[in-house]
Amino acid sequence: MKQQISLDINGRVYDLVISHRDLLVDVLRKKLGLTGTKKGCGNGDCAACTVQVDGEPTLSCLTLAISCQGKKIITVEGLAQPGGALHPIQEAFVNQGAIQCGYCTPGMVMSAKALLDKNPKPTLEEIKLAISGNLCRCTGYKRIIEAIEIAAATMSAQEVK
Amino acid sequence: MYTNEFEYLAPTTPAEAFELVGRLGSKARILAGGTDLVVLMKDKLTSPEYVIDIKNIKEFKGIKYELGKGMTIGATTKISEVQYSEIVQEKYPALAYAASQLGGTQVRHMGTIGGNTCNASPSGETPTPLVALGAKVVLSSAAGERELPLEDFITGVRRLDLKEGEILTRFILPEPSPKSVSRYTYAGARDAMEIDCVNMAVNFELEDDKETIKYVKFVLGSVFIKPLVSKEVPALLIGQKFSDALVEKAVAAAQGEAKPISDVRASEWYRNEMVGNLTRRLLKEAFAAAREV
Repeated sequence: MKQQISLDINGRVYDLVISHRDLLVDVLRKKLGLTGTKKGCGNGDCAACTVQVDGEPTLSCLTLAISCQGKKIITVEGLAQPGGALHPIQEAFVNQGAIQCGYCTPGMVMSAKALLDKNPKPTLEEIKLAISGNLCRCTGYKRIIEAIEIAAATMSAQEVK
Repeated sequence: MYTNEFEYLAPTTPAEAFELVGRLGSKARILAGGTDLVVLMKDKLTSPEYVIDIKNIKEFKGIKYELGKGMTIGATTKISEVQYSEIVQEKYPALAYAASQLGGTQVRHMGTIGGNTCNASPSGETPTPLVALGAKVVLSSAAGERELPLEDFITGVRRLDLKEGEILTRFILPEPSPKSVSRYTYAGARDAMEIDCVNMAVNFELEDDKETIKYVKFVLGSVFIKPLVSKEVPALLIGQKFSDALVEKAVAAAQGEAKPISDVRASEWYRNEMVGNLTRRLLKEAFAAAREV
């Protein structure tokens, strides 16, 4: 079953023809070329595919694209600041070496974004909880957690969203 | 991995939903958070012709509490809302804690409390405390509504007493007794994203002497085909003064009642050991808490 729908992604409205069964991750990557969002396990176990849907951290591999009509979707591509500068979360990941193979990074960054949107000054425990569903196959969790702590401090100081 | 082809339907009112579910019957599956259903569909364990998404129906979501009357929780209320709700944390702490231990952050922001029950996995987190707290489910259809205790609604592994045309629309929780406490505990391979090998919840109240047990409802999960309401533990405890010796009798009784299986998560032997350890820990925790209220 095919249908034309509109999706609001990173502040831009895309008109698309999709199948009802199309998953958000496949629409982002294959139809729109937004390949920043990664598809890991495809079963909701690794969270590499995390995006924000109406602000909430959401597994795009278990979300039907058609169910996202009328909602605001933010992917990792939507974090860039005016002029193309990196978002403070991305900058902190780069500076802290919180990236090894990089495959989990977009999901980690988006999980961190969803956390900091709601809780700008999280405790260490709250940071660990926010990324507890995100798998890093390089096991580089320590620097990822440090990067989120630094990003939180930077964003609070600069009042960045 | 892809699901089968299906037609997606997204009713926005209860009447539309009841009409669709009634008309399409077993050709349709009801979609809420998708964290279980979409996985089952990808694995081809279910291939419905229609998927009826009930997330856009505002009547089916939200937490309402009225002092003295208790709480209703809409079926499509997110697990994260249950986890963070201050009134759930205050009145039904076992449920709030169980919700906080389900899946990971993303799963809790997608998954719903009704979905966790309707998935009817023996290892589900929230049915165990809901049963301990005396929750009823409301099953609604175009013909009307009926209420059922949750322990009667879940009849087995992925089996529900849900008649064709019905939708689980809300849970009703009775007002907790002012002196009662509820607690939840579990064992799994890791903290996040694991599936419990054993979980359990207790609703517990002491007499005014703060020693004698007045009321116990004790429920075990992941050790039977559905949430297992213990008969023997309350029979042993009620009317008795709390003591370590009494707890050991309850531990043995719980281990006798539990009927775990061996599977990928744990062996039957390990689960039975964990039933004992967790029963001991949970009853002592509940007793300590009940002495403080």
